[in-house]
Amino acid sequence: MPSPAIETEDLTKRYGARLAVDGLTLRVERGEIFGLLGPNGAGKTTTIGMLLGLLRPSAGAARVLGHDVQRNPAAALRGVGAMIEAPALYPYLSGADNLRVLARAGGLPDSRIAASLAAVELTARARDPARTYSQGMKQRLAIAGALLPDPELIILDEPTNGLDPAGTAEIRSLIRDLAAGGRTVLLCSHQLHEVEQLCGRVAILKAGRLVAEGQVAELLRRGQGLRVRVERDAARAAELAAALPWVAGVERAGDLLLVDAPAGRAAELNAHLTSAGVLVAEIGARGGSLEEFFLEVTGEG
Amino acid sequence: MQPTEQPHRPPVPGQRMLAQHFQAEWLKLRKRPLAWGLLGLFLSLLLLYLGLWALVVALHEGTLGGVRIAALRPEQLEQIQRQLSLPGVFGAVLGQVNATGGILAVLLAAGALGSDFGWGTLRVQLCRAPGRGAYLLAKLLALLLALLVAVLVSLAAGTLVAVAASAWLGLPSALSARDLLALPLGIARALYVILPYLLATLAAAAYGRSVLAGVGGGLIFLALDVSAGSLGSLGVVSDLVLQMVNLLLQPNINALVVANSRSFGLDQSVLAGRLDMAALPSPLQATLVIGAYCALFGYSAWRALARRDITGAQ
Repeated sequence: MPSPAIETEDLTKRYGARLAVDGLTLRVERGEIFGLLGPNGAGKTTTIGMLLGLLRPSAGAARVLGHDVQRNPAAALRGVGAMIEAPALYPYLSGADNLRVLARAGGLPDSRIAASLAAVELTARARDPARTYSQGMKQRLAIAGALLPDPELIILDEPTNGLDPAGTAEIRSLIRDLAAGGRTVLLCSHQLHEVEQLCGRVAILKAGRLVAEGQVAELLRRGQGLRVRVERDAARAAELAAALPWVAGVERAGDLLLVDAPAGRAAELNAHLTSAGVLVAEIGARGGSLEEFFLEVTGEG
Repeated sequence: MQPTEQPHRPPVPGQRMLAQHFQAEWLKLRKRPLAWGLLGLFLSLLLLYLGLWALVVALHEGTLGGVRIAALRPEQLEQIQRQLSLPGVFGAVLGQVNATGGILAVLLAAGALGSDFGWGTLRVQLCRAPGRGAYLLAKLLALLLALLVAVLVSLAAGTLVAVAASAWLGLPSALSARDLLALPLGIARALYVILPYLLATLAAAAYGRSVLAGVGGGLIFLALDVSAGSLGSLGVVSDLVLQMVNLLLQPNINALVVANSRSFGLDQSVLAGRLDMAALPSPLQATLVIGAYCALFGYSAWRALARRDITGAQ
């Protein structure tokens, strides 16, 4: 059985007193498109930095394509292509020469340059200096750099930033093609509908900690049900709701109750809580979108 | 993009990673406008330097429109004439390489490493080939190769000036096999003299993660080192003090620069009167002391790069 594409165990990164990543344990199987989500500062880019051997973990371990990143970075990264945050380019070099630098450093044949440029439709501008490129073209060139080694694992951090709708659609199609060819994709994106469309599984980070992980379909199912905000007595309200025979479960976050129940029972639940003396400030069906689930578990909503 | 068969990926030994990084570094350097701009600036300054000496000789001897300004002592005139003819021009060019060339090399080194931090490209390159020591060594080797090319171009330019000046001023100019054999050693000495400044600059750029830190660190060290060279006069106090002063970098640099000049028939003491030749360390000591400084700065640069986190564009 092949090793997972990515495996982390209690991966931790500490900057002084601040924990950027706190005991992250993750497993990304080969061939899947895995989404890594979280608000700004949640630790996504720090996690990627540790997976790529650029940042040293304070504790824990990371294995990429079966190799320990700290002990054997060359073996771990040989089959990895990555684009991290904003495109990093040599402004004075042409697009093709930007890729040539990476090809030389990685010991890759020049034939990969044309293929990578073609994949992001930059062949026509390959000889122009990168400083003359639009933001979208820079983004595409950075993705071409990630594709250069014909990677088994491709890590993309906000790959559609700065792209127009047509470019965004092309990159999404490219990501699907990569996965269809058996490659693993780790996708970091703020565009949750993009993650919802592309990813089979996601992990959600908040303040460096893993707060949710699972199949997108499963998280969406968990995102369905009723959302109730009460004026006070949230704990008692949760107990009252949980006692109803058609309620499968209740999660409480402050004065907010996430009730796993059919959306059509909202009025019945409202009457039940009100008759018991609980003041209901707001009640309604949850949207069942990844975005709504994300906002709920990260407390951003 | 059509999916392809996953390629077999053999392990990359350290030497091969060094070669790969070197190819990348050389490509970056030879296509960088800054490198060509600095070479152009150096050649302009070199031609200005040699041109001014030719003008001084012409004025001294009345070759220029009959105007005659005899302000030079005979031994000074002889030294300047030697600098303007073969093989003395080699010594003059290599002397300039170690003077203004050193400053320009600091700027090039700071740009080469500092901008990899500034543009965030260091992170991308190290993802592709994660050997940080190999990356640093490859960058140093690429810089030295660029400097070697610059020195060779400068020597060629100097030779053309010497041929023209000799014809104009009627100077004796001849090149023996011994002079040509002395040239590779002279070039090696000139590059070796620049090496500690390059490494100090790389260390400063790596610690400060920017071009500015590299330029600032390299030039401040250069200025401090040249200032420390004036401590050489303290050597008259006692032999012990002289030995201690001669452990500073500058006296050892001066020793190799003087040795280079002598190889091509020049006598630095005539034109640089403040230089006490007798107090300078031997070439062997100079080589060893400079090597020790190189090791110190090289280790500092490696430590700053290899042991710290690599973050995004600064």
